Parts: sequence; structure tokens; C-alpha cells
Amino acid sequence: MKALTLHRELTAIWRTEPGWRGHLRSVNHSDIGKRFIVAAFVFFAIGGVLAMLIRAQLATPDSAFVGPEVYNQLFTMHGSIMMFLFAIPMFEGLTMYLLPKMLGSRDLAFPRLSALGWWCYLFGGTIIVAAMLAGVAPDAGWFLYPPLSGKTYTPGINSDVWLLGVTFVEISAMCAAIEIAVSILKLRAPGMRLDRMPIFAWYMLATAAMMIFGFPPLILGSILLEVERAFGWPFYSPELGGSPLLWQHLFWLFGHPEVYIIFLPAAGAVSTILPVMARTRLLGYGAIVAAVMALAFLSFGLWVHHMFTTGIPHMALGFFSAASALVAIPTAVQVFAWLGTLWSGRPRMKLPMLYLAGFFFVFVLGGLTGVMLAMVPFDAQAHDTAFVTAHLHYVLVGGFVFPMLAAAYYWLPHVTGRQRVMRVGEAAFWLIFVGFNMTFFLMHLTGLLGMPRRIDTYSAEMGWTWLNLLSSVGGFVQAFGFALFLIDVVLQIRLGRRHDRDPWGADTLEWAMATPPPAYNFASLPTVASREPLADAPDLALRLARGEGMLATARHGWRETLAVDMTSGAAEHVVVLPGNGWWPIATAAALGGFFLSMLAGLYWIAPLFLPVVAWLAWRWAWTNGRRGDVGAVDAGAGLMLPTSFEAARTTGWWGSVFALGASATLFGSLLFGYAFLWTVAPNWPPPALVTASAVVPLLAVAGAAAAGWAMRRGRPLAALGGQAAIVAALAVLLAGAPAPTTHAYAATSAAIAGYGIFHALVAALMLAFVAARTRAGFHSAARSGEARIVQLWSDHAAGAGAFAAILLVVPGWLA
Amino acid sequence: MRALLRLSAGLIVWAVAFCAIYALHGIGCARGWPDQTILGLDLQRTMLAGVWMMFLATALAVAAWLSRSRAAPIDRIARATGWIGVAATIVTFLPILAIPVCR
Repeated sequence: MKALTLHRELTAIWRTEPGWRGHLRSVNHSDIGKRFIVAAFVFFAIGGVLAMLIRAQLATPDSAFVGPEVYNQLFTMHGSIMMFLFAIPMFEGLTMYLLPKMLGSRDLAFPRLSALGWWCYLFGGTIIVAAMLAGVAPDAGWFLYPPLSGKTYTPGINSDVWLLGVTFVEISAMCAAIEIAVSILKLRAPGMRLDRMPIFAWYMLATAAMMIFGFPPLILGSILLEVERAFGWPFYSPELGGSPLLWQHLFWLFGHPEVYIIFLPAAGAVSTILPVMARTRLLGYGAIVAAVMALAFLSFGLWVHHMFTTGIPHMALGFFSAASALVAIPTAVQVFAWLGTLWSGRPRMKLPMLYLAGFFFVFVLGGLTGVMLAMVPFDAQAHDTAFVTAHLHYVLVGGFVFPMLAAAYYWLPHVTGRQRVMRVGEAAFWLIFVGFNMTFFLMHLTGLLGMPRRIDTYSAEMGWTWLNLLSSVGGFVQAFGFALFLIDVVLQIRLGRRHDRDPWGADTLEWAMATPPPAYNFASLPTVASREPLADAPDLALRLARGEGMLATARHGWRETLAVDMTSGAAEHVVVLPGNGWWPIATAAALGGFFLSMLAGLYWIAPLFLPVVAWLAWRWAWTNGRRGDVGAVDAGAGLMLPTSFEAARTTGWWGSVFALGASATLFGSLLFGYAFLWTVAPNWPPPALVTASAVVPLLAVAGAAAAGWAMRRGRPLAALGGQAAIVAALAVLLAGAPAPTTHAYAATSAAIAGYGIFHALVAALMLAFVAARTRAGFHSAARSGEARIVQLWSDHAAGAGAFAAILLVVPGWLA
Repeated sequence: MRALLRLSAGLIVWAVAFCAIYALHGIGCARGWPDQTILGLDLQRTMLAGVWMMFLATALAVAAWLSRSRAAPIDRIARATGWIGVAATIVTFLPILAIPVCR
């Protein structure tokens, strides 16, 4: 009876509202996760149709199916959709849905941020696909290399669609990365030490960290290219001191870690599903964690292996070649751990296991051709041929799509609460597996015979006809397989019989709840003492439903979950999460207005959306906090804990640390670009330098010192004055600088100053917010979390602003 | 957070070494260091080798420091990543010994 009462009370607090209102206002992680998954699959289907059109074009020589202009859009959109609108959002959705359940939490750390990310993804993806329907899709390849993507060779809005649409979608990826990292580190079940985390959480922690440090170079590169296209700042134009190679560096600084960002979540799913299928425990948990950590770092040292033929000196290529070969070792450690797990268990060939077998076969082959391509001499021969296309599909389809299909069949009973109805999934597997290998194994051969990538047609004399025709047939066989998979899923949702809880006999916490899961996940939170909580207590789900765990209460209408110490997993404070609301969709719409105005070339309208975004952010943040102290509350098990209103290090503080880490990476990438152009690009030194007296940078340094001093004395308005001094100093430097259109030096200098000014303005807004909140009674000695967060942002803006001001004047002084 | 930093320490040394040596290589080539000699040795290669050895010593020191603590399972993982950092610092920069510097 208590279980039912608790269920009703918690459902009233956590539920999603019915109808369209619920669709627009929900922030629940299960809702958002499922939306990401469904939308990603829709984009996958669109990308798949494009792939079929590509294969139709290449099936026969001298094909007139589509012309080169359309063909360029087809392959560019296929790659861009699969990377940015399918792969990343798909694992984000899976993670958002699963992670809190696996960690023993009721939601993610920032539910509204998840919702904002969802709307940005939906709006950005829609812009990109709508552009394709309008015939103005990006057409310069998914990596958008300048000068081809520049204004001279792509005068239409095709490249702008990519740059603005993808950057809009990347907001979603950054939101997800911060969300995932903080949730893993802070929102776990009590007792879940780092080394007791489910292995999937380790994979996702590494992935989130890689996203935080890997995406900013791409975002920076995209901003610079869009500014070059829109305003003529010559970052990538060699005649004015720019370099197209800078784009390649920034793109692949993101692009290669991206391969592992996609692979690691899938490998996390493999490491979770495989032991269950083998009816044993994962072999080598510690070795796998170490391998994942190694991959997270080493994968950042590989980016130049996409640039082996750009003329970079051989020794530098050697560094990247060595790192590229080295990265195979931690990957192999995982493969051997999985094989050992299978060997030590009693595997059962259920459907998820069948897809995992497909993963092993395809991914290992892709890894081997990867080692071949890591060798500079071989790469020089195979570069830009169909061999590379085949390799990357073996890695990405083998390393992501097959594990995701296994994950779909493994966790679909959790989402639907139903069983499969027929053996359609097996037929789908064989069609996909045979079709895939028929398509792409043969493309290795076509590539070795010399067929370049991205050509729209070829003549019969080249000798590639039969291989291409068979590849195309294989592609369509594969497409039938995916269609069958979709039918199978729909059948399960509509016709499947109800199943018992935990149908696979798994030991992780996501199965310690009813399926489909209630909006609050756990009626009371578990306390764990091992990596297999359900093996320790098979009746855990019932005990939690009866309220025998922590936080078995529904008080004040609060959405409560527990925050723990990062390392020990000891309960730290009770987090009160925000509920449903309009702020995420409204903010995403305002951001959409900015991006659409830029896309339409309405550069004077676009900035008008920024104050709207700032106002929405202000109102959004105003809904947090309380006007009175709460004190410690009963968390269950005899524990009295403070709430997040009065905690010293809140999840918001940690989220800000990661957000600033991402921003600092973007700034670091900009500084790399500045140094790169100065060292490598032609037409340097620049004709004119920034000139200013020593007073100007001193003003910035004094402003930074004043801001830091004032925040530590609880005087946000005084700190605001310090930020204003930084803005003034950087503005004076900009006024004394050569016009940004004259040389890449002037353009990068303006970008550096712009970074400092932007951050100082954001910090000023936050400082004004803190001052207003203090006046309104939201702060006290106990409720000081907001001021601590703003101090982080203010300190970062002060440091970056002062550094930028000094950097801008140094070349002039040295000259 | 300290546990995560310990887990990452060895690999952070490798990452910093990678950035430093790649940057130094670019600067040296731009400034013509391979054409200059120091004690009869190519200045560029000598500089790179010196910086490499410095980072290798740092990686070894970090790995040794991480190896001192074996209490918790997480410490054993940190020890492994420390030695992975050493191995990566050795292997990645082996081209300094053999490959032409700026061609």
C-alpha cells in the first residue's frame, strides 16, 4: 500500500503534462532521451536514403541519374547528417535515457539544459534538412574544406547552412557533454564509489570529457569560416596571411576525437550487454577503464593523420603516425577483455548477441585497415580513394551502428515493457550484415584499383563497373535490413506481450524498476556496495518501490535526488531539480532566430536576438533558489543532509567548471590559430600591427585584479566595474588595430579581443544578476552557491581579458 | 576530483609533451634551426630530443609517484594509466631519432 501511495505522490511531482503542453515543456530525462533517439533515427533514415541515391548514381558507369551539383550535395549531406544529426544525438539520447537509471538517480543534473539541447538539435537539424529540400544544401564535403567552401567557390548559402546549422546543433552536444559529466560525477546512488560505477558510466565520462575538449575547435573553426564568408575576415585566405590548412587543423582536432566520441558510447554498450549475454561478469574492469582513459587522451594526438598528404614535414607526420598506431593497443585491450568475458561465461545467442558478433567482425576489420592507413607511405597511396571510404564505414558502422542495434534490442524491453513478437530481427541482422560487407568490402578493392572518393561518375574503361554495381546491390540489401529493423521495433511496441522485470537477468540498476519506467525512476534511491547491485539483492526493485531506500518521500512538490562525493560515493546533499517549463524551448527559439538571421544575411537583425537570449537566461536562472534558509532535511537511513540551495559545491558549480573548460579550449584553439598563422602561413609579417600605449593593457590588468578582489569580498557591483574596464581596454585596442579585412593578423587579433569582450559582458550580466538576487533576498551565508558560480565566470573573464589585452600589444612592442 | 586527476596525470604529461614538441618542431622549422648546430649536432633535433627526455623524466616521476599508492582499486587503475603515459611518451616521439626534421 505504501508503494502505491508513494508512486502516486511521486508521479504527481515528476510526471510530464499530457498533450502538446507536455511535449513542449517536459524536461524529464526519459522523455528527452527518447526524443533524441527517435529524431536521430529519422535523420539516419534520411541519410540512408541519400546513401541509396549515391549508390544508384555509382552503380553504372557514365550515369546520368543525378548531375555533379546534386551529387555533391548528396555525399556532403549524407556525411554531415550521419555524423552530426545521427551518431552523436543517438548516443546522447541513449545516455540521457539510461544514465540516471544506471547510476541510481531520478534525473540528470540539469534537466532544463537537456531540454534546451533537444530543441537546439531539432531546430538546427531541421534547418539543415530544409535547406536540402530547397536545393541549397552544403556541397563541399562533410569537412567543408576552404577554399572550396569559401565565398569565391561557394557563393550561395550552401556552406552557411552547414556552418550555422551544425554550430546550432553543437550547442546541443555541449549541453549534453556537461550534463553527462556532472551527472556521472555527482548524481550517483550512495555507496557507488568511482570503481563501483557501471562500466557504461566510465565510457560516458570519457566521452563527455572528450566532447568538452574536442568540440570547441570545430565551433571556433566554424565561427571563423562563417565570419570570413559573411564579413571578409581572411582567416583562411593565403593571399592575406590566412591558411586553408588552419581549417583542416581545427576541423580534425575535433574530427578525429569525434571517431572515438562515437565509438566509446557504443563500446560502453558492448561492455554492458556482453557479460549479460555471456551470463558472467565483465572481465578486466580495471584494464578497460585504463584503456578508455588512454583512448580519451591518445585520440587527441591523431588528427594530422587526416592531413598526411598536405606537405607537413615528415617528422611531425611521424609523431601522428606513431600515436595512430599506438591507439590500436587500448582498443585491442577492450576487444580481448570482451573475448575473455565470452570465454569465461556461457554465451547465449540471443538477438543482441548476434548484433555484437556482427560488431566484432566488422569493427576488427575496420581497425586493421585503420592501422594500414596510419602508416604514412600506405596512406599516401590510398588517400582520397574509395579504400578510405570503406575503412571509415567499417569503423563507424562496425563500431557504432552494430552495437547500437544490439543496444536497441537489449534495452527496448526496458522502454516498452514488451517482448519481441517474431524473429524479424534475425532476418534484419543478416540483411544488414551481408549487405554491409557486400557494399564496403568491395569498396576496399575499388579503392585499391584507384577509384577516388566523391566522384560523381566514371567511365567503363576504368574497370570499376562490376565492383560498383555489386556495392550498390549490397547497399540496397542493407537498406531492406534497416527497414525490417524498423518494422520489428514497431511490432514490438504495438503487439509485444508484457514481460517480467529484468528479462535478461542483468545486474545493473536500470533493471531495478518497473518497465516502462515511472517518471521518477526510483520510488526510493538504492545504496550500493558493489558493481552488481541486483546480484547482491535480487529483490532490490521491490524494496525500492516500497520506499526502503533513501529519499522515500514526496515533500513540498520538490523533484529530489541525491548528490554524492565524487570519489567515495558518500551522500553529500539533496539536489532539488527544476520542473517542466517554457524556458528551454523559448531560449532555443531565440537562438534559432539568431542563426536564421545570420543564414538569411540579415546581419543587422541577428544581434537583436542576443539581448532576448540574455533576458531569457536571466528569467530562467531567476526561477532557481529560495528566499529563506531550509536547513538539513531527512534523506532517509538516519541521514540529515543540506539541500542544493545551501550546498557549497553544487552541480551548477561543477557544470560551470566544465563549461569554462570548453570555453578555455576554444580560446586555446584561437591562440593556436594565431601562432599557426604567424609561423606557417604565407604573406607574414603583417603590414600593420596593433598600436597602443602601455596604459591600455594595464587598464585591462587592473580591471581583472579589481574584479577578482571584489568578488572575494562579496561585492559583485564592484567586480562589474572591473569587467567594464576590461571591455573598455579591449575596445580601445580594437579601435587602434588595422581593419580585420586587411590581413589574417588583424582578423585573429580582433577575434581574440572579441573573445575577451564577449566573456566580460557575460560576466557583467551574471554579476548584475547576483547583485539583484542578493537584493531580492535569495542569498544568505548558507545560500551562497550562486555567488560562487558567478565568481568562476568572473575570474575566467578577467583572466582571459587581461591575457588578450597583453597579447594584442606585444607584437607592436617587439617590432 | 583528485582521484580523477590522479587517473589522468600520466596521460596529461603525454598530452602536454605532444603539444610542446609539435609546437617546438613547427617553430624550429620556421626559424631554420635544422641548419644550425650545437656541439656539432643539428640544433633542431637536439632541442627536440632534450625536451622529449625532459617530459619522459616527468612521466617516469609521475608513474613512480602513482605507483606508491596501491590501497584502493582506483589507485591501481591510476598506476596503469601512469605507465601508459610513459609508454606513449616513448613511442610517440621515436621519430625524433630517425626521420628528417623539416622535409
